[in-house]
Amino acid sequence: MDFGDLKEALASQSYAQIADICDHLMLQVAAEGVAFQEEWPYAIHLLGHIYADDINSARFLWKSIPSSVKENQPEVVAAWTIGQHLWTRDYAAVHEAIRGFDWSQEARGLVASFAEQYTKRMFRLLSSAYSTISVQDAALFLGMSEDDAANYVLRQGWDVDPASRMLTVKQQQAVTDQKLDPSKLQRLTEYVFQLEH
Amino acid sequence: MGSMENLVTQIQGLSGSVEDIAHLHNILKLADEALHSESSMLSAVLDQVDPARHSLGYLYILEAFTSGPVSKEQALTLVPILARFINFCDAQQIRLAPDKFVSVCKRFKDHVLLIESPLRGVSPMRTAVRKLQTTFEHLTTLHPEFLLLCLLSKSYKIGLSVLEDDIFDIDQPRDLFLYCYYGGMICIGQKRFRKALELLHNVVTAPMNIINAIAVEAYKKYILVSLIHYGQFSTSLPKYASSAAQRNLKNFCQPYIELATTYSSGKIAELETYVQTNREKFDNDKNLGLVKQVVSSMYKHNIQRLTQTYLTLSLQDIASTVQLGSPKEAEMHVLQMIQDGEIFATINQKDGMVRFLEDPEQYKTCEMIEHIDSSIRRIMTLSRKLNAMDELMSYDPLYLTKVGRERQRFDFDDFDTVPQKFPI
Amino acid sequence: MEPEDEIYENGGEQPARSKPIISGEQLDVEAYASLYKDRTKVARLLFIADHCNNEAMQLEALRMAYDEIKRGENTLLFREVVEKIGGRLGDKYGMDSAWCETVDRRAEQKKERLESELNSYRTNLIKESIRMGYNDFGDFHYAHGALGDAFKSYVRTRDYCTTSKHIISMCMNAILVSIEMGQFTHVTSYVSKAEQTPEALDQITIAKLRCAAGLAHLETKKYKLAARKFLETGPELGSHYNEVIAPQDVATYGGLCALASFDRTELKNKVIDNVNFRNFLELVPEVRELINDFYSSHYASCLEYLGNLKPNLLLDIHLHDHVETLYDQIRHKALIQYTHPFVSVDLHMMANAFKTSVAGLEKELEALITDNQIQARIDSHNKILYARHADQRNATFQRVLQTGGEFDQDVRSMLLRANLIKYDHNLRALRKL
Repeated sequence: MDFGDLKEALASQSYAQIADICDHLMLQVAAEGVAFQEEWPYAIHLLGHIYADDINSARFLWKSIPSSVKENQPEVVAAWTIGQHLWTRDYAAVHEAIRGFDWSQEARGLVASFAEQYTKRMFRLLSSAYSTISVQDAALFLGMSEDDAANYVLRQGWDVDPASRMLTVKQQQAVTDQKLDPSKLQRLTEYVFQLEH
Repeated sequence: MGSMENLVTQIQGLSGSVEDIAHLHNILKLADEALHSESSMLSAVLDQVDPARHSLGYLYILEAFTSGPVSKEQALTLVPILARFINFCDAQQIRLAPDKFVSVCKRFKDHVLLIESPLRGVSPMRTAVRKLQTTFEHLTTLHPEFLLLCLLSKSYKIGLSVLEDDIFDIDQPRDLFLYCYYGGMICIGQKRFRKALELLHNVVTAPMNIINAIAVEAYKKYILVSLIHYGQFSTSLPKYASSAAQRNLKNFCQPYIELATTYSSGKIAELETYVQTNREKFDNDKNLGLVKQVVSSMYKHNIQRLTQTYLTLSLQDIASTVQLGSPKEAEMHVLQMIQDGEIFATINQKDGMVRFLEDPEQYKTCEMIEHIDSSIRRIMTLSRKLNAMDELMSYDPLYLTKVGRERQRFDFDDFDTVPQKFPI
Repeated sequence: MEPEDEIYENGGEQPARSKPIISGEQLDVEAYASLYKDRTKVARLLFIADHCNNEAMQLEALRMAYDEIKRGENTLLFREVVEKIGGRLGDKYGMDSAWCETVDRRAEQKKERLESELNSYRTNLIKESIRMGYNDFGDFHYAHGALGDAFKSYVRTRDYCTTSKHIISMCMNAILVSIEMGQFTHVTSYVSKAEQTPEALDQITIAKLRCAAGLAHLETKKYKLAARKFLETGPELGSHYNEVIAPQDVATYGGLCALASFDRTELKNKVIDNVNFRNFLELVPEVRELINDFYSSHYASCLEYLGNLKPNLLLDIHLHDHVETLYDQIRHKALIQYTHPFVSVDLHMMANAFKTSVAGLEKELEALITDNQIQARIDSHNKILYARHADQRNATFQRVLQTGGEFDQDVRSMLLRANLIKYDHNLRALRKL
């Protein structure tokens, strides 16, 4: 088995590609009849799906893992624990699952990067879904201590009411690219012209 | 054995030009019977031909070689040979004998299932599909085989890659039924409910003279996915559905129809009771997991309905209206729905309120314009296709005599023009 | 001109009353019964007896029914009412077997006589006499409560009718019996038969036919059509049709159906400004007031009148089954009308106007919004209802994309189906070869 691509992706922190590289490689070695299961980097593969926010695929992969692997490789189980909490939307437990395992050298970078990304994702979710939220809940979502969480969101422009420990969310204005390919506009104009005549 | 050596020589010599291969094909057809009678000795012959260069010849020999029953051990040795052939064979050559290729590939599938490693078949079978199909619009008999392997090996994601093609041309109706049914299951697994509904709908409404088991199972799943995705289900089939389907489908799916009726009451407790009492039926159909998703979707649809009515509503009221245990549970449901883009809302924890918002989409972004543009182009292509088919049909002499017989009072000229509107 | 005079000028037995009979106060059974005669009187009294929860009223109704029945010849009904009274009104209102026997014996004799008369008419082929003979039979059966036979006899006169007048008479009889049988499809068809007679009908007959048609529509829940018929009823009706309906009923039935089914303009033009109908409304001032209240948006007062009237309306033989539906529709209309002119509505004020709680009002509004009857959304936090102004542009984009998506999918599956049919067709063609 040639894990060259995978190693390179991990080394260059191109984590978004991990899932595809693993999927592809797995089908290839399977087709060649290689008994890959015992040596397969399931933890990395699972984390790759999780990183790509593809929990469905992570779930099906988990289901296809032989039980001997699940029993002997605690890291595989730990990786799936993250996926499982994402699956059940147990937002706070995701952070615990990340912190609750001593990740191997290989997985560490990927997990750390996912953790960072997940915190950002949670912050975006809180920004769009809440107008006010307690410091306590925000800390759970963001996976931080209450003080850290408060500081984190204050830096993003939120307000805190020290008495009620309630945060007021400041909506972030998303900047979208408004540049348009003139040919598209031209084509739309032509459609309209045709319809009118 | 002499004739066999002769055949090998011819295969080696006549695999170059198109004319040569056509000639070879005739020779092979004649030799086919002989090949089958000597199938046990073909292993050595296979080594003398190259799967890439002599694909047609290799295919005939391989087909004959694998035609007998095989044990698990034999399957273990055959699978790599078959996989290698599929990977290396020349698409042009094998398409000359599609039936042979299909039966070889089907045996390949049977063998990987026999050795209980469906994952081994996924990648080769995808290759086989791509080599056999003349265009991406062509549905081959191997499509359903590929999807089945994806399902069995839980490689749902790769299954999607084939489902994204718009297929139109069909070899066998059964291919379409199975393709849509397996495809529906893959889309359900990946939570692509819209696409799943489309595929299952194709099965249910396909022309059929008698009702078949695939259509019945598809209809069951169609009902469940409709409830999950739309929160409702209409029992009436479109009028273009076959009369066999119109008459019989509902009778075969009674527990599902009743589930839909119970769902429409909007009362979660009633739904749960119904599911509990009919649990076994759903479990036997292997639909229990999907039924559970139906149950939990009710909270979602009930909350969605509230957004149409309320501008603000307390979490307490949401919880009691949609029958959730606590305001906190209601908050989590609302949050999930916001995350999934199913509603637009903000939660105010301080006052325990939710404010429902309008869809912020302003249809002004470049992305949207591109989306509209591509939709228009797609539809224009489809319309052209439709016109082409219509034209083809109006020129078809068989069609014209039939229509002419039935409606003799019209002149032949009446059928000359292409109608401007199409009943869909 | 005193409107009441006009109504009553033909119905001499009705004394001028200072108090309306249909009102929010407890039903005065005697006064109510005095509005009707014959069998509807009995039927209405028995209906009240069956549906009121007040023994005094029940006995009063039964007593009057007993008296009225004894004036007729229906011993079956007599036995029924005696059983219902069950001795609670003393000996005077007990079983009178002698009376029953006399009546029955006389009926037997009469029947024989009518039969021999009819037979002789038929042998002599005197058209008019045969008609009369059947008509007498109809009357006879009706008097004895054999409604089905009465209907058949009346209808049989049809072949022997020689003038429009005969036809009308046949129709009116058929209608009368059909109403009592609850066969309202017959009512509708005989009303239209009567209206199709070539000669011009007199005003009283026209008014009667309108009422009969109104009742038929009411029973089949076509409230708007019912309202129209009652509103078209002319004042000539007076008490001429009190074997079926009283002018008070025309006002009540017509008014409530109109309120439940008319829009604001119709309500103004066809009810409030309708001079004819105003005469009827004067007889039931509470209905008149509640219609005016509704129109001038005094919903609290309107609903209060409705609430007060309800117990009595539930005792009405024709309205009973429809009170809830009509009330619901009226309330919905009121709610919709109330919110209509506003950009935002304070739910506290609205709840006040509708004499309900804010929570209850929210539920009612929720149902109406879900049903798309009110285009608004509820700010439950601040208890305000906001009118919803859909963004036309966005809605159009949304609809276009949705339609496009559906078209896309429909065309693709249509092409697939076409290919399957083609396959099937080719296969058959091959088999034939």
